[in-house]
Amino acid sequence: MRIELKNFKKTFGDITVIEDMSLSLESGEMLALLGPSGCGKSTTLFAICGIHRMTGGQLLFGDRDVTLVPSQQRNVGVVFQNYALYPHMNAYENIAFPLMIRKEDRKTIEKKVSEIAALVHIGELMERKPAQLSGGQQQRVALARALVREPDILLLDEPLANLDAKLRLEMRSEIRRIQQQTGITAILVTHDQVEAMSMCDRIAIMNKGDIVQLSSPQDMYQNPNSEFVASFLGNPPIAFLDGVVTDGGVQLASSEALLPLRGQHGLPSSGMPIRLGIRPEHFQPENPLKVTGRISFVETQGREELYDVTLSNGSVLRSIQRQGGGYHLGDEVSWGIAENQILAFDASGARLHMGALA
Amino acid sequence: MRRTDLFGLGFMAPALILTIMFFLAPVVMTGVYSFTNMSTATGISGGAYLISPATIRSLTEQGFQGDAIERLSSESYVVDEAGLEAAEAAGYTPRFIAEIRSTLLGDTFTGRRDFERALKDLSHRPRSIRDLKKATELFQKSVLNVRFETEADFQSALSSLNLNLSPAEAVFLTETAYTGWIWTSANYDRAVNLPSTYRATANSAIYVTFTLAFNVGFGLFLAITTFYLPSGQAAFFRTIWFLPRILPPVLYVLMWKWLTWDTGFLSTLLSHFGVPPHNLMKHTATHAWVVVVLINGFVGASMGMILFSSAIRSIPQSMLHASEVDGANRWQQVRYIILPQLRWPILFTTAYQTLSLLTSFEYILLSTNGGPGSATNVWALYAFKIALNNYGGNLEYGYGAALAMVLVIIGIIASLFYLRLFNFKSMITSPRIEQ
Repeated sequence: MRIELKNFKKTFGDITVIEDMSLSLESGEMLALLGPSGCGKSTTLFAICGIHRMTGGQLLFGDRDVTLVPSQQRNVGVVFQNYALYPHMNAYENIAFPLMIRKEDRKTIEKKVSEIAALVHIGELMERKPAQLSGGQQQRVALARALVREPDILLLDEPLANLDAKLRLEMRSEIRRIQQQTGITAILVTHDQVEAMSMCDRIAIMNKGDIVQLSSPQDMYQNPNSEFVASFLGNPPIAFLDGVVTDGGVQLASSEALLPLRGQHGLPSSGMPIRLGIRPEHFQPENPLKVTGRISFVETQGREELYDVTLSNGSVLRSIQRQGGGYHLGDEVSWGIAENQILAFDASGARLHMGALA
Repeated sequence: MRRTDLFGLGFMAPALILTIMFFLAPVVMTGVYSFTNMSTATGISGGAYLISPATIRSLTEQGFQGDAIERLSSESYVVDEAGLEAAEAAGYTPRFIAEIRSTLLGDTFTGRRDFERALKDLSHRPRSIRDLKKATELFQKSVLNVRFETEADFQSALSSLNLNLSPAEAVFLTETAYTGWIWTSANYDRAVNLPSTYRATANSAIYVTFTLAFNVGFGLFLAITTFYLPSGQAAFFRTIWFLPRILPPVLYVLMWKWLTWDTGFLSTLLSHFGVPPHNLMKHTATHAWVVVVLINGFVGASMGMILFSSAIRSIPQSMLHASEVDGANRWQQVRYIILPQLRWPILFTTAYQTLSLLTSFEYILLSTNGGPGSATNVWALYAFKIALNNYGGNLEYGYGAALAMVLVIIGIIASLFYLRLFNFKSMITSPRIEQ
C-alpha cells in the first residue's frame, strides 16, 4: 500500500524534533530511515504507527487519511528493537495476540498463525516462552506477530541492533526475503548504513529532523548531495582533504602540495575553500594523481587491508587494498587518487558537481 | 572456621540477636505459657495452699461429701498435747494447763464459742477474757482461710482434721487448694470447647478475606488508574492514598469515628435528607464489618498500590506500545498484558497481607473494639483481651498464650504454603520480566 507523509511536524513540549517533513513510499517498497541517534527517525516511525500523535501534517495509507486514527485502528505492524514480546505468553499466543484482540475465530487464527510461522521458519517453536528463545528466534516471532494481521505497512525499529554479528547477517537477508515474499510496504529505522544499503530499495538519510537525501542505495553512495551523506555512507568511511581552489587546482591546507585538478570543470572560482572527499577504494597505488604520505595505521580485514596514510599537513587518507601489497606501518608511500571519483564539497558541506572536461 | 566466616557471622550477629530476642524468645515463651494456667489470680511466681469458701464450693461440685467437707469448712478446736505445749510456751499458768489436760484432753469442739465456754468453766482460767480468747486460738485445728506457705504445712494441718480421704481425693484437694500456677494442657481443651473460640475464628476468616480482597483489589485499581494518568496527577493521587499509612493509627481511627458517629459527619449530612442519625460504626454487625474492612483496607491498599505501580512501570514501554499497535484498547492492555505480569506482586501482597492481617487487631481495637457484642472480635483481639486487657480484671496469661500459639501455628503453616506456592527459590534467582 502506498504511504504518504505530508508536512509532518512533531514537537515534545518546547522541543521541535521534526519541523516539516514529507515522505512517500510506493506500494511494496522497503525504505530505510537512516541517521545518527537523535535525528528523529524513531519519532517518525512512532508517528506513523500512531504511538505518538502528530503535531502537524497529514498521513495517508493509500487514500485513507489516518492522521487522527488511534494506533489500535491503523493496521500497522511494528517490530521493536527489543522485540517487545509478551513474556507470559508462548510464541503461538504472542503471534495470535493481534488476531485474538480482533476476536477472529479460533480456526482462522490457527490457520493464519501456522502460515506465518512457516514463512518465518519458527513452526517448531510455538510452545516456547520468549525467555526460552534465542535472540534471532525472538526476532522471528516478533516479525510473525507484526505480519500476521496483514498490516498496511510494516515498521521495523532497529530490528537488528540487539543481535550478535552472525545473526545480524542472517536476519538481514531473512527480513528482506520475508518483506519481498509478502510484498508489504516497509520502513526500516536504523543507524547502521550497511543494514540500510543491503536491505532497502531506497534510503532516506535524516539529520536533525530533516531528510537530507532520499535515493537508492547505489545512487546515494555514488552521488551524495552533501558532506554529511558522504560521510555517513561507506565502510570504511570516506576521508576528506581541506584545501583552497587555485588556478592550477586545489592547494591543500597548510601544505605546499597542490592537487592539479586541471581536467575538471565546475570548480569554484579561485580563493574559495573546498573539501575533497576520497573513498578508500579510490586511493590506490596505481592511480595517476599521486599524493605522498606515511602509513600511520594498518588494519587487517582478512580479504583486504585498510591503510591510513597521513599526509605532511596532517590530513589522513584511507586506502583499502587486496591482501599482499607488502606495505608496513611507517612506510613512506606515494599513492594515487582516482581523479574523476573525487567528491567535492563547499564550505557549507554542499556537493560541488564536477565533471571531466570532455 | 575461616576468618571470613567469622566476619560474616559478626555482621549477622545483631540481626540474629534481635531475631532471637524479639521473635524466637517470645514465641517460645508463649508456647511455654500456653501450657500453664497462669492468670492474675495465680500470679506468675509461686503460690500457697488455701482452702477458701470458693475452694469448698468447687470441692462440693467435684463430689466431696459429708464429714470431710464439714470438717474442712468448719472451725474446730482439739485439745491435744501440741496445743498444751503451745499454751505453756505462750505463758499461761501451769495450773491452768494442768487443769485443761486433766479435764479436756482429747475433746473436740466444733465452734469457738463452745470451746470458750468450756475454758471459762475451769477454775484456774486467766482473769482477762482477752487472754482466754487468745488461748482458744492455740488449739484451733481449722484450715479454712488459713494460708499455708508449703505443702508440708498444709498436709500436716489436714492430717490433724482426720478427713479419711482416699489418695485420689487427697491429691485433688491439694491441687484445688493450691493458689499458684501449674502445668496443664487444659487451655487447649478449653479453646476447643468454647463457642466463643469458633466465633473468633469465623470473625478472623471474615476479616482477613474481605480486607485482603479490598486491599489487593483497590491497590490494583489505584496502581492501574494512576499509571494511565499524567505523572504529576498520578503522584498527587498516590500521595493522597498513601496518607492512611503514614497517619498515626490513633488519629486515623479517630477521624473514622468522627466520620461515622451518630453526631459525626455522615449522620449530620444524612440528617438533612431525613435519615435518622446512627452510629454507623457500631449500629449493626454489618456496619461494623464495613467500617473495619474499610479502615484496614485503605491502609493496606496503599502498600499494594506502591508495589503494583512499580511493577507496572517495570514493564518495558515498548511492550505496551506493541499491544497498542496490535490493536488492544486500554482494557485489553490491562487484561492481557499488565495483569498477567503482575502475578508475582499480587501473590506476594496476598501472602504478606494474609499473615499481617491474621495477627493485626490494632485498628479494630481502636475502632469497634470487637463490637457490637463480639461481632468483630477477631482471634488476635480475642487473645489480647483474654491475656492482657480483660474487663473482669483476671488476666488469663496461660489461656491467652494458648490462643496466640494457635495463631503462630496458623501463620507458620500459611507461610510454608505460600513459600511452596511461590517456589521462592526460582523467584529470587531469575528475573520475571525479560528486558
